[in-house]
Amino acid sequence: MTSAAATVAARPRGRAGWRALAFVRRNLLNVYALLALGYLFLPIAIVIAFSFNNPAGRFNYTWQGFTFKNWTSPFGFPGLRDSVVLSIEIALLSSLVATALGTLIALALVRYGFRGRGLVNLLIFVPMATPEIVMGASLLALFVSWHYAQGFMTILIAHIMFNISYVVVTVKARLVGFDRHLEEAAMDLGANEWTTFQKVTLPLIMPGILAGGLLAFALSVDDFVITYFNAGPKTTFPLFVWGAARVAVPPQINVIGTLIFVVAVGGMLVNVLFQNRRARSAA
Amino acid sequence: MAFLHRHRWLTPYLLLLPGLAWLVVFFLVPMGYLGKTSLEKGLFPIFTFQWAWSNFHDAISLYHVQFVRSAEYAGAATVIALAISYPLAYWIAFRGGRWKNLFLLLVIAPFFVTYLIRTLAWETILSDDGVVVGTLRHLGILGSDGRLLATSVAVIAGITYNFLPFMVLPLYVSLEQIDARLIEAAQDLYASKARAFLRVTLPLSLPGVFAGTLLTFIPAAGDFINAQLLGTPRQYMIGNVIQSQFLAVRDYPSAASLSFVLMAAILIAVLVYARALGTERMTGMAAGR
Amino acid sequence: MTDQLTRRALIERAGVGAAALTIPAWLAACGGSGSKSAGTTGTSGSKTLAKTLVFSNWPLYIDVNEKTKKHPSLDQFTKQTGVKVKYIEDINDNDQFFGKIEGPLSQGQGIGRDIVVLTDSSGLPARMIQLGWVEKLDKAAIPNMKNLLPVQQHPNWDTNRDYSLPWQSGMTGIGYDPKKTGGELTSVEQLLSDKKLKGKVTLLTEFGDSIGLVMLANGDDPSNVTKAGFDKAVKTIKKAVDSGQIRQFTGNDYAPLLAKGDVWACFAWSGDMVQLQADHPGLKWNLPDSGGMIWTDNMLIPKGGNVFTASTYMNYYYTPKVAAEVEDYVNYICPVQGAAGVLKQSDPKVASNPLIFPTKKMLSNVHQIDAKAVNNQDYKKAFQALLQA
Repeated sequence: MTSAAATVAARPRGRAGWRALAFVRRNLLNVYALLALGYLFLPIAIVIAFSFNNPAGRFNYTWQGFTFKNWTSPFGFPGLRDSVVLSIEIALLSSLVATALGTLIALALVRYGFRGRGLVNLLIFVPMATPEIVMGASLLALFVSWHYAQGFMTILIAHIMFNISYVVVTVKARLVGFDRHLEEAAMDLGANEWTTFQKVTLPLIMPGILAGGLLAFALSVDDFVITYFNAGPKTTFPLFVWGAARVAVPPQINVIGTLIFVVAVGGMLVNVLFQNRRARSAA
Repeated sequence: MAFLHRHRWLTPYLLLLPGLAWLVVFFLVPMGYLGKTSLEKGLFPIFTFQWAWSNFHDAISLYHVQFVRSAEYAGAATVIALAISYPLAYWIAFRGGRWKNLFLLLVIAPFFVTYLIRTLAWETILSDDGVVVGTLRHLGILGSDGRLLATSVAVIAGITYNFLPFMVLPLYVSLEQIDARLIEAAQDLYASKARAFLRVTLPLSLPGVFAGTLLTFIPAAGDFINAQLLGTPRQYMIGNVIQSQFLAVRDYPSAASLSFVLMAAILIAVLVYARALGTERMTGMAAGR
Repeated sequence: MTDQLTRRALIERAGVGAAALTIPAWLAACGGSGSKSAGTTGTSGSKTLAKTLVFSNWPLYIDVNEKTKKHPSLDQFTKQTGVKVKYIEDINDNDQFFGKIEGPLSQGQGIGRDIVVLTDSSGLPARMIQLGWVEKLDKAAIPNMKNLLPVQQHPNWDTNRDYSLPWQSGMTGIGYDPKKTGGELTSVEQLLSDKKLKGKVTLLTEFGDSIGLVMLANGDDPSNVTKAGFDKAVKTIKKAVDSGQIRQFTGNDYAPLLAKGDVWACFAWSGDMVQLQADHPGLKWNLPDSGGMIWTDNMLIPKGGNVFTASTYMNYYYTPKVAAEVEDYVNYICPVQGAAGVLKQSDPKVASNPLIFPTKKMLSNVHQIDAKAVNNQDYKKAFQALLQA
């Protein structure tokens, strides 16, 4: 009590100012998180805004006026739609496979002793440290020496390859903090190893697996250099954007970025709301 | 299942097999080619294998400035990313509730819009005649004709922004696992909020910190595109050198040896870092922990 | 002239020419490379059209009907000749594309393309000819070659146009905002030394453009680069970099900076300016007094490509009406004579734009970079060192 009074006496600012400060202190975390999210989304806000831009030329660099026409024909350039579809397909497939492979490796690394774990750790870290251009070009050299035609499969192979490491490191972070006693308890209660894994371990490490998968998806959907070398005649969305940028940066690209984002967030929202409804009806 | 019981020792190897096989075939073998290239000498398109160890010496002596600069930029970006991401990850983990996954998706959302478009947006925000620079000039932080674009600040900011998800996600993954009751217990034992955080939460989240800093620093050190679009020649990193040696000069041995020096330097740094943080805990080296 | 080209007429016409060429062509085909390529089969000497033409080009570099999302000129070609065109827009940087194709080509494999388009100022067309990685054009199938602009007919790296034909060209000059530069800017020297412009100038990462323009400003000839001239240019640029005059070296990412006013003057490409001026009519572009550079994106037939089909397409492109159709969309510089005449009626604004159809005066003041210099390893290294302080 006395400290509060002393505080009031020691800060004879306007009551509104003091209250604001107190609010911030109490909600420091919320304010900080909000600012961080704001920072994350500031450029995205600009991107969305510029999707409504109406430039007369082919570049979308400065604001020229508002229009909806980009949104009514988002795929107005030939090849744009196919590149978006390809990017999403590759991202989904590669993140699924990489997450599976990476989770297995993470499990092995954290839970088992075996010879050569140092080497395995090395093999996981090195791809992340390798400059993309030499990684992409060397992989291409491999495919060329096999006479293996470049296209969908080579892009997929490359993406899975560089995604694995990121998944391993992310899932490991989760596994390392995992309390083994829970598994022991389950087995004490009669569950065999597989059931324990299914019902206890997997659900508890799922956030780690999900996070790894999201990271892999993001890496895949935005990759340029490695994809460029191994794409052959195929074009992914980043390839299209970088390629087109020499002569045009159409607002449609902003539209598509926004669309993907909105669709993903929308899907997630529906999922959450659906789960809420289920939880409420179950209660 | 019984087979595995009898041959327990086989389990880790079976778990490792598919992923490692993929990496061996599609990463190690190409790296083998690269290794051979790094010991060649010549002029495009004719290179001959000569055990040219001098390539590595040249790589370091000619470009040590860019190597050091890359370490600085990547280090700065990692620290800043950690400062921004930790509270955000904490907030999502402890206050996110049912919306946690949605927030995680929001964190990677910027990747759906390609790098070029994101950077164009930043160029708009940080434009010399824009609000941000104007305010900073007004406040005296920047000189009257100071700028943010085409400076090391812009490059580091670009790298930080680009790798933010790589820091947030591992941090979240580790924080979310912490049982809130542990923190409650600490506070019941008269620890202040800050103490509880420092003695309970932070140590338990260190695996996430370790993972996040690695996932940010390692690829950031080899980055080239941020320096190319947001920097002047004085900001160019080792990634830019490798890019130009490979594509423009077409000196493949030089590009290869530079790459290996970079990889070695990063791995040594990671090793030292892991030791400092206590490897067993971080990488789960001790089996059955 | 060849508007109503039918497949039959084409073959007949080609047959006449082929009769004279047959024996040497057979000899060449027999004694030449025996390697069967993985992509399209090598066919020098053959006079039948393939079913498909695989054409790699830069994105958005051909006419586009935004409603139907098709390329009208390519569809017309298919209608006329029956050849389907697989149009791939996977070239976005000369060096990067070359890095992609040099692997298979250096091992004698085809790359599955009949036509690729590379810029002369990158030195890569010259390199590919030197390395024997391109096929000779079937000139008998390209009578329209006579429509090529005279100034383009004898480049120093392919003096008889045996291997290449221009697709589009562009000029490199000075792009600037006259309000910020205080009037007209026609001197590279002013660009590099005017203190008012400090930190507001960018140069290009393209060797041919930056070295070329600076050499011209120094009074040297970029189409015949000497060591002294090169060193002098490097020194000039380095001085401007060290003083902070030059803000950045860019690809075409100078365009957003110029549009936003972060850059006041820069080395710029004519095609970009056409687009920028649509939204910012105040921006100006002109060739420096000391001379500008001209670069050309050339169609080449990589080894293993179908020579006859590719040549047939090139002939089709060199019809003024077709070239005009493409030009109307692309808005770089058309290499085909007669296209301007066609456009005067259908799109006079484009026809009268000197950035798309340069005047004789402009064309006499532009130079091509010496391909030997671009491919010179020492020069390349020195230039790259400039870009990375």
